[in-house]
Amino acid sequence: MHPIVSIGTSHHVAPIEFREKLAFSEAQLTEAVQHLRETYQVQEAVILSTCNRVEVYAVANSMPSNDAAAKMLVEFLSRYHRMSIESLKKCTYLHHNLETIRHLFRVTASLDSMVVGESQILGQVKAAYDASREAGGAGTILNRLFTKAFSVGKRIRSETTITTGAVSISYAAVELAKKIFNTLEGKTVAIVGAGEMSELTAKHLVSNGVSNVIVANRTYERAVKIAEKFNGTPLAYDSNLDFLIDADIVISSTNAPDYLIKRQPLTDIMRRRRHRYMFLIDIAVPRDVEPDVNKINHAFLYNIDDLEAVVASNLKDRQQEATRAEQIVTEEAKRFYDQLQIFQVNPTIKALHQQFREIADTELQACFYKASLTDQQAAAVNSMTQAIIKKLLHDPMKNLRYAVNDGDADHAQYVQALQELFALDVKDEEPEP
Amino acid sequence: MINFLFLLTLLIYLAASIFQTLSLALGNRTEAIAIRSTIEQIAFSGTAIGFAFLTLFIPLWWLQQGHFPMTHWTDSIAFFAWAVTLIYLIIVRLTQLRTLGSFVMPVAFIAILISYSFATHTAALPEPLQNYWLLAHTTLIFLAYAAFIAAFGFGLMYLITEQKIRKKTDTLLDNLLPSLGISDELGYRCTILGVILLTMGVIVGSLWTQYIKDVPWRWLDAKVVATLVTWFIYVVQIGFRQFWGWHGRRAAYTAIIGFVAVLCTYVGVDLFLDSMHTYR
Repeated sequence: MHPIVSIGTSHHVAPIEFREKLAFSEAQLTEAVQHLRETYQVQEAVILSTCNRVEVYAVANSMPSNDAAAKMLVEFLSRYHRMSIESLKKCTYLHHNLETIRHLFRVTASLDSMVVGESQILGQVKAAYDASREAGGAGTILNRLFTKAFSVGKRIRSETTITTGAVSISYAAVELAKKIFNTLEGKTVAIVGAGEMSELTAKHLVSNGVSNVIVANRTYERAVKIAEKFNGTPLAYDSNLDFLIDADIVISSTNAPDYLIKRQPLTDIMRRRRHRYMFLIDIAVPRDVEPDVNKINHAFLYNIDDLEAVVASNLKDRQQEATRAEQIVTEEAKRFYDQLQIFQVNPTIKALHQQFREIADTELQACFYKASLTDQQAAAVNSMTQAIIKKLLHDPMKNLRYAVNDGDADHAQYVQALQELFALDVKDEEPEP
Repeated sequence: MINFLFLLTLLIYLAASIFQTLSLALGNRTEAIAIRSTIEQIAFSGTAIGFAFLTLFIPLWWLQQGHFPMTHWTDSIAFFAWAVTLIYLIIVRLTQLRTLGSFVMPVAFIAILISYSFATHTAALPEPLQNYWLLAHTTLIFLAYAAFIAAFGFGLMYLITEQKIRKKTDTLLDNLLPSLGISDELGYRCTILGVILLTMGVIVGSLWTQYIKDVPWRWLDAKVVATLVTWFIYVVQIGFRQFWGWHGRRAAYTAIIGFVAVLCTYVGVDLFLDSMHTYR
């Protein structure tokens, strides 16, 4: 049994100052994987390096103890990044076997992410795996492990709702817009005032299909500056809000001390735009839009608190779902670990059978050569020999498989003992296609 | 045997209505995500099976009675349920919006319940009325009714969603209903379809009167008047929408008023007024 070990650091345990020192650039990655395999007792390796985490997954070469394998990885990181082993130990975590598997599954399912359920991590793990595989890092065991991690990640995304529901104000606004309009295609968004949040929201709306952007500001120059980013129409407004006639979505974030958009004028504007839906997002504090605007037919007003409430409720849902996802991860990791052990025991079992059969064949040939037997007799001797092999191997193999299935730690020793006692030449299996 | 099958159909429609509504009530709530899709699947399969049964009854009754079954409440209202389900299935086919079933399937169920409670009654159809005019006239009218009921369903969906968005009561994720724009647009399309079918049905009906010699005909028949009123309500809605932008909430309210008008035309007239069209 080759130990699967991992070392890593993430936003949970280390600040950015530390993580950036451990990061591997894309160019370094290939080289690092090869270096790890050539210099250390490592058979397979995958390195994952994102802005929130740096992790090394490795399968140790022969059969060192878990601790020895872990030490090897610490040493690798310390030498590669020229950092002291003490500082590394403080801000990293180490996992072995089942824990490594569980950790990778959690990472891939984005349960370990800063925002639980975020969608980028799956792609990042895939890219890391691909890069390491091209560098010759991933072999039979890590291939299986990562393939499984992707399918577990997908299972969790489809069976739980951890990935649904906006968890940022700007996405919440996009989701609400989608609940109002039949499509965002061809719709117009008006950004009134300036601000990072309103630009971000507008950006998400545009990437979701909104086609026209109006940027209204007190000063025309500022409006032009922002409009450039969206290929939008700049305009300066004073008290005249007629540009709202064309706006389906209004994002307001001015510094005005008073309400800028009031119920009465907006009612008039709504009539002039033939009561087409208008979604007003007021993220200004103090507020820009009179709350009563929400009472106008076909006008829907959300202020910053309303959007925060949507986000908070979505986050709560995700937390609940994360618990369910953790259960899936634990269960899948256990199953995978068992399969992996059987998979790792199989070559030994095969080799042992092979050896017994070869010995028997040789002896049978010798026997047939010495004694001239009739076909019938030869067949009888032959089948007797096969039966003896089968019966001799039956109990040891049964007990070995039991030991594996029970999660009995002894089985690794059994395997090692078998290999040494019988001087078996064990080759690792190729994974099934 | 037919009676037993009809009872079975009734129960299937009941189950489909309950399950479909339950599925909507569960929504996208995280705890129920797996079970909800199963429930909806059951509801939809039920709808399809119920519809298949109902489709069988029409030729069966036709054979039994020797003419298109449209004389008694049993036949008529079962045919009505059939039309409602047909339009619903077509809409699901085109839009995947099974949630509409939560609103139209109960209507279909109640129709079958009424039909079942009259099931032992039969009535003879006067000889001069036994022809394909009857088939064309009633099929068009009932499909129009069904389209109006779908529009009514979309109207309710609109009002529920609007309420949720305005009151900010949920995260909108729990909500399986389509966006306001979609409910509104589909409701409008159903209304247009209904008006076209109803217009055709009325035209066929009035042409038919030219061919009936032996049955006295009067133009000021209660059913005819009620139908024209219903027709007028929907045409006015479409006109206002075209010229004054009356959509959304107003369209949804009109769809509900139209629904009441359809019920009055179809059921009310028979119960309280004297009409040529009365079912026996």
